[in-house]
Amino acid sequence: MSYEVMVGNKAAATACKLARVQVASAFPITPQTTITQYLSEMHANAEWDFDFVNVEGELSSQVVVQGASRIGARTFTCTSGPGLLYMHHPMQTTGSGRLPVVMAVVHRSYKGMQPDHSDLMSQEWTGWGHWYVEHAQEVLDSILMAYKVAEDPRIRIPIAVGYDGYVLSYTAEPVEIPDQALVDEWLPPNKPIPEVLPDKVNKATFGRGFGGEADPQVPWKVHHDAILKIEEVHQEVMDSFEKTFGRRYGNAMIEPYMMDDVDVAIIAMGTIAGTCKAAVEKMQKEGKKVGLIKLRSYIPFPVKDFQEWSKKLDAIAVVDRSICPGKGGPVYQRLRETLYDMKKRPLTLQFHAGLGGKEVRVRDFELIGDKTLKAVKSKKVEEPVTWV
Amino acid sequence: MIEIRLHGRGGQGAVTASRILATAAYEEGQYSQAIPMYGTERRGAPLTAFVRIDNQRVRERMLVHEPDISIVLDPLIAKQQGVVESLKAGGIVLLNTAMAPEEVKLGGDFKVATVDATTIALEVLGRPITNTAILGAFVKVTGALKLESIEKAIKKYFPGRLGDMNIAAVRRSYEEVKGPIQAVVKSGVQEKMDLNVGGYGVLKDVSSWRVFTPEVDVDKCISCKACWIFCPETAIQWDEAKKKPYIEYNKCKGCGVCANECPVKAIEMVRVEV
Repeated sequence: MSYEVMVGNKAAATACKLARVQVASAFPITPQTTITQYLSEMHANAEWDFDFVNVEGELSSQVVVQGASRIGARTFTCTSGPGLLYMHHPMQTTGSGRLPVVMAVVHRSYKGMQPDHSDLMSQEWTGWGHWYVEHAQEVLDSILMAYKVAEDPRIRIPIAVGYDGYVLSYTAEPVEIPDQALVDEWLPPNKPIPEVLPDKVNKATFGRGFGGEADPQVPWKVHHDAILKIEEVHQEVMDSFEKTFGRRYGNAMIEPYMMDDVDVAIIAMGTIAGTCKAAVEKMQKEGKKVGLIKLRSYIPFPVKDFQEWSKKLDAIAVVDRSICPGKGGPVYQRLRETLYDMKKRPLTLQFHAGLGGKEVRVRDFELIGDKTLKAVKSKKVEEPVTWV
Repeated sequence: MIEIRLHGRGGQGAVTASRILATAAYEEGQYSQAIPMYGTERRGAPLTAFVRIDNQRVRERMLVHEPDISIVLDPLIAKQQGVVESLKAGGIVLLNTAMAPEEVKLGGDFKVATVDATTIALEVLGRPITNTAILGAFVKVTGALKLESIEKAIKKYFPGRLGDMNIAAVRRSYEEVKGPIQAVVKSGVQEKMDLNVGGYGVLKDVSSWRVFTPEVDVDKCISCKACWIFCPETAIQWDEAKKKPYIEYNKCKGCGVCANECPVKAIEMVRVEV
């Protein structure tokens, strides 16, 4: 094992190298990130054998990796903000085609250049697994795990690993680089999908409909069921990752932090979860019973985890770094529907923080904690939505 | 946790300095984080970078708002009160200036150390890139990191002869730094300047960006207008009567394009002492 002080984007490119990605494709200009710069350097230095296809737009880059993935190559692409929106159309086909593409999404707001989660959140209907990570080490580790999960024969679903632009993509921090031999052993080469033609008897399909009289809803159902299965496989992969490399991130779906004996949980995703860890530590020193549940997998959503945690909590504060205008915060709404069937439901408060790249500081999380504790005390949510 | 803020200009290597510090810290078994100030940086524009050093993985993902140490790579920025803004009480400001700490006009409850990093960089590296030249002074003044780890980190960023030259600059600034002493002035000046002002010469005065200043020898000039055409900031003006160029210095950022383009070498870049 070696280490390097590297930025988040280099951690993503290094993960591609460790995973021995065979085909990478990307649009190389703004809003692209420096991931492609690192990949180009690695390609020029022949650090490993792969094809790197620079294309004229994000739509094409997604289509290139689709084709390569279809014949069994391990593929990678990356983009950011508006580039991801331009990729919306072919992303559906990748999901529908059950192609285990892994993509790094470097979050950038579509109202400005700075990060928020509006880019990846707006792709929730594309049929991918959606993960959100906190720091550069987690970028590297998660991309490796994403290949293992995506390529599992039970899953075969593309996965987007999202991390915040600038604050993570350009921030340098020490990253441990696992030994290539260990990664090779842990992550064997990808295989082509077992069968491209639909199996009418077992109602299985990797994308195509059955045609004729057959039920046209089946491809949707099998796609949905496959994504739900990610939860179990992701947890298995996290266990084996820890066994091999000595690091883990909660149970893969969520990472609870200082959640012993607390009344209130804050739910946060991405880099701001890191800042929240520092805030939670400070608040608990002051006797405030506030912990953090870092949400790592938005799709599939950790329904069971939150239902279990809700039994022990008086209130949950959800920090959404995005909003569907006119609809609301996606994590807040998803959490509330998750809790609907519970007999005892904790109070839920919605906070919007860090949209348009607004800096989120430790003191902001203290404010969120205080407001939620106040609601617990008065057993009432006075103001359900707060813009921090 | 130690929090550091670096002030410099695009091209002086503040971001690289922040990464060298972060790498040196990890060499000593500490965790670290190096954050550039996000924006559209370019050569000559004032910019800031930040470093955190801690004994556990740094969780905070925000800018450093109250640094323990402020490192200033540029002699002109070093004169502005903004470099000590929000510095923690008892903190240290390390300035690149030829002045002794006693002569520094910045005021507040902090310590001042000075080193003439520009001269060291010019003499050792041949270029006014002060990012490594100031790190030796940082080690001497703060004791936060060891000289060996800084040198080890520099070798990762600059292999070979360039690394040796940078290490020589580090060692010299370690020897030559003066201070720290308690700031002589008790409270800061009222007038503060935004350190992150950007904008091109046509909009703003960028004369403080210069390390070298162009001077035109009108006798040598053959009136070809090459300098006038190539100046990216429209700082070179044309005197139609004399058929000679003249320079509007408030627009000149000292890039040296004019001197480079002049076919008869009638423009010389001169270092102006500050």
